[in-house]
Formats: sequence, C-alpha cells, structure tokens
Amino acid sequence: MTRRSGDMAERILGGPVLWLGLGAMTLFAMGPFLWALSASLKTWAELYATPITYIPVRPTFANYIEAWTSRLTPFSRFFANSLWVSSVTMVATIVISTSAGYALARFRFLGKNTLMLVFLATQMFPAVLLIPPLLSQWYAMGLIDTYQALIYSNFSFTVPFTVWMLVGYFESIPQELEESAMIDGSTRFGAMLRIIVPLAAPGIAATAIFAFVSSWSELLYATTFTSSTDMRTLSSGLLYMAGQYEVQWGQLSAGVMISTIPVAILFTFLQKHLIKGLTAGAMKG
Amino acid sequence: MQAQQPLISRATRETLANYTYLLPAAICLGGTVLFPILKSIYMSLYHNVLSRPQDFRFIWFGNYARLIQDPIFWLTLKNSLAWVFWSVSIQFVLGFVGALILNAPFRGRAFFRTINLLPWIIPGVVVGLIWEYIYQPNYGPLNDILRRAGLISIPIAWLSQPITAMPAVIFANIWRGIPFFSIMILAGLQAIPDEVYEAATVDGAGVFQRFWHVTLPMLRPIIVVATATRIIWTFNYADLIFVMTSGGPANATQITSSYTLLTAYTDLDFGYAATLSVVLLVIMLVFTALYLKFTKGVESVAQ
Repeated sequence: MTRRSGDMAERILGGPVLWLGLGAMTLFAMGPFLWALSASLKTWAELYATPITYIPVRPTFANYIEAWTSRLTPFSRFFANSLWVSSVTMVATIVISTSAGYALARFRFLGKNTLMLVFLATQMFPAVLLIPPLLSQWYAMGLIDTYQALIYSNFSFTVPFTVWMLVGYFESIPQELEESAMIDGSTRFGAMLRIIVPLAAPGIAATAIFAFVSSWSELLYATTFTSSTDMRTLSSGLLYMAGQYEVQWGQLSAGVMISTIPVAILFTFLQKHLIKGLTAGAMKG
Repeated sequence: MQAQQPLISRATRETLANYTYLLPAAICLGGTVLFPILKSIYMSLYHNVLSRPQDFRFIWFGNYARLIQDPIFWLTLKNSLAWVFWSVSIQFVLGFVGALILNAPFRGRAFFRTINLLPWIIPGVVVGLIWEYIYQPNYGPLNDILRRAGLISIPIAWLSQPITAMPAVIFANIWRGIPFFSIMILAGLQAIPDEVYEAATVDGAGVFQRFWHVTLPMLRPIIVVATATRIIWTFNYADLIFVMTSGGPANATQITSSYTLLTAYTDLDFGYAATLSVVLLVIMLVFTALYLKFTKGVESVAQ
C-alpha cells in the first residue's frame, strides 16, 4: 500500500465513518434509556395506545409520584432501604479494606502472595454460588429479612475488590513518610491514620463509591434474603413490582429511572479512578 | 544486669500486631465467602428441602447422582455455552470497534465516553426490565419498529417463544457488556506509545497495516485478560435471566447459574442447589487454572 492511499483511508476512517460509527454506537447505548425515560413520563392512556409514541405527548410526573407514594410498591421505602444498606456497606467496607490494604502494602507476611491471590479470586466469585449456603446460614441465624443479612452478604463482593484497589494506592505512597513520623514517636497505627490515609483519600473515596454503587445495584441477595415488602431495596423492589399480576409499565419505568440516576451521577465522578483501578489489575496480568 | 526476656519477643509481637490489621477482612471473607463455600460442599451431601424438614437426611453423593441423571442440568450447561459464546464474542467485537472510535480524536470525546459507558454501570435489574419492556409484544418498541419497517405483520412474543427467548436475553446481555470491552481495550490503546505508530508510519505502513501489525499484537495481553474475565463473569451471571425469563419458557433460557439460584430460592431445595453450586465452583476453578496457565504463556511471549 502506498503512502497516499493510506492517508486517504485514514481521512475516510477519521471523518464520515467515525461520525457514523459514533452516532450508531451512542444511539444503541442510549436508546433503551431514552425509551424508559419517555415511558416514565407518559400518561396511562398513552402508554397503552396504538400506535406507540416515542416522545410523550403530554409529559407528566404522575408515574414518579405514584411509584414514590404507592402502598403496594413503596419506592420511597425501597429508596431509603437501598440508601441505608449501601451506606453502611460502604463505610464498613472502607474501614475493613483500608486496614487490610495498608497491611498488605506495607508488611511482610507469610503467604502474602497467596492472600493477594485469594482477594483477586474472590472478586470473581459469583453471588449465585454463595446463595444456597448463605440463604441457609441466614435462616439458621434468624437474619432473613434484616438489613444485617444484606450488608454482611455485600461484603463478599465489596471487600475483595476494595482491598485489591487500596493495596495499589498505598503502595504508591512512599514508605519514608510514615517512617519519619514513627521516629518522631508516632505509633504505626497513628502514622497510618494521620499520614497515609489522608494522602490516599482520593483512592479511598473512589473505592468507597464503588462499594456504594455495587451494593446499590445488587439484586440477588436483596431478593433472596428478604421476604417483606418493607425490606426490599430498589433492585429487589423493581423486580417485585415487575412480578405483579399486571405490570404497570409507567410506574416501573419511573422506578427504573429512580434507581438509575443516582448510580449514573456517581459513576460519572468515579469514572477515571475506576477505569484506572480496573485496567491496572488487568495490565499487571 | 540483664533485662528480663519478655514472654513474646518484640518481633513476634510486631508480627501479631501486623496480622490484626487483616483480621476484619479475614472475618468478613471467612464468614461470607470461605465458610459458605465449605458449607455448600457439606450441604451437598444432604437431602435438604426447606419446605419438607421431615425428609432431611444424609445421602452421601445422592445429589451428585441426581445431577448426572438430571436432563435439565445438562440442558443448562448447553444453554450456558451458547449464552457465554454469543454474549462474549459479540461484546468483544462491538466493544473493540467502540474502543477504536472512542480513541479517535474528536470534539466532546469525554462526554461520549461517559454516556457510552452507561449500559454497563446501571443495575442489572434495570437492564432486564428495560429490555423486557422493549420486547413486550403489544406495547414494546421493538415490534413497533419492525412493523413500521414492514418486516413483520403480527407481533412476536420475543421472550415467550423458545426459539426467540435465548437470542433476546443474549442481545440484552450484549448491550450491557459492550462498554466493558470498550473500556479495557481503550485503556490498552492509550498505553501504546505514539512513537510506535510514528515509526510504523515512517516505514510506510498504512492505517490497516498499523492496526494489524502494531495495535493488535500490543493489545494481546489485555484482550486475553478481558475476555477470560468476561467468560467467567458471564457464565455466572444470573441476574438478567432471573429478571427477564426466570429460565423459561420450558427452560429454554435456563443457564446453570440461574438454575442454581432458582433451585435454592424457588424450590428451597438447599441440598441440590448446593450440589449445583459446587459444580459451578469446580467449573470456575478449572477455567481459572487453564487461564492462569495460558496467560503465563502470553506474558512470556510479550516479554
């Protein structure tokens, strides 16, 4: 291939083909959301009208209000449950993983590499595999239908990932910083809290958001370990609503948007950190 | 006078103190991952249906014998293969194209990167419900679009026919997973130094040659890692199927992980569900071992 034709191919690929591809890809990614958004703003009559409309004729927030205040599927309650479970999971996860991540980054251990491998492997552990034993465990402990069962179960996927990410953050902070503090009379733990944790704050914040968002999205534990409507999170509440005799697509779409928007906003902030953490693990192999 | 030797030496005390940092994480993972795994091995040896406590008894490998004779189990394995193969391969191809597009320089790139990431970050139940709505025969947009395009005249019940149900759930899963590959490959593309491309251009390589001889080989490690991770993850991913079809119609979309979930959750058959999860675990471990062996090979090639 000569230089000239190469340039030509590059111009076409960089111009019209690029824009076409970008347009198609974005439409494909966003289309389903836009459909749910549009449906959530429709009136009951318009939802079930033929032919289907794609842009609501008379947009209304009625579906949101109904979903939020409904007695059968109280989204305000689901929202509060999700907020509570995700927040407690997040705070506890951060405390647990900061301590473990720091230790793995700084101390020499017998079997440290094995431990790191365990943390990496448990990230891959599917919820499904843990559901039969956890379900029977929570039954035996009388924890079915409690926040504790959900929060403890969430640790199974938040802790391994956050430990793994925090080890990387702590390793990038020079060891001399806390060593000099310890020479000045600080304890190891004090040095960690006062010097290392503040320096690692951006990384800790990113992992915190990760723990929050993944707990917020969690479905299988939230469905199998709860039984009453009042204990459902947004994810399991949505599934419960969809399982009703007649599906209310308008309210359901409103519920979909209520569950999605907080995550979407948080992820926009988190994006750079998360991608870095995610791909760093992969790059290392 | 010599100071008295403490009961535990300083070094030992320090080691013990160091381990306490790990203690909370160890308790958490012990209680929610390791102990449950051991417990499911133990549970798999019992006949244990929660709704029939009078039948609870130790049956040795009875559940495993049942598994071998269970035609649904073998069907779910076959379905899992189709589910993983089509989901991952199409996600990979489209994700790769997406990464190349998002790596090109254009105005508003950061914005487009963010919104193209959305399908991946939203809750799984949301993905399932939105697509269930899209496939809805009477009020869903898919049939409407096909009808307007003149491709169909009568509505298709996508999720309630065995032939269309599996492709429909796979398609929803593809939609959700494309951004994962895009992100991973995009990160790989950004890690390739510009000088390599410049050198190739100076040597007269065109855009396609550069892609084939520079981009692809340099992306190989990340492609292997991303694909392997995705295969394991997809194999175990039950949320979408649980939400959209619960494995139906007639187990046409039942994969092994959703079968495990429903055996525990709907049938309350803990013994058999535990047996299925032990089998899932073994499959996962075998795959991971193969993958680790294979990636070591890739690394030595790359170095």
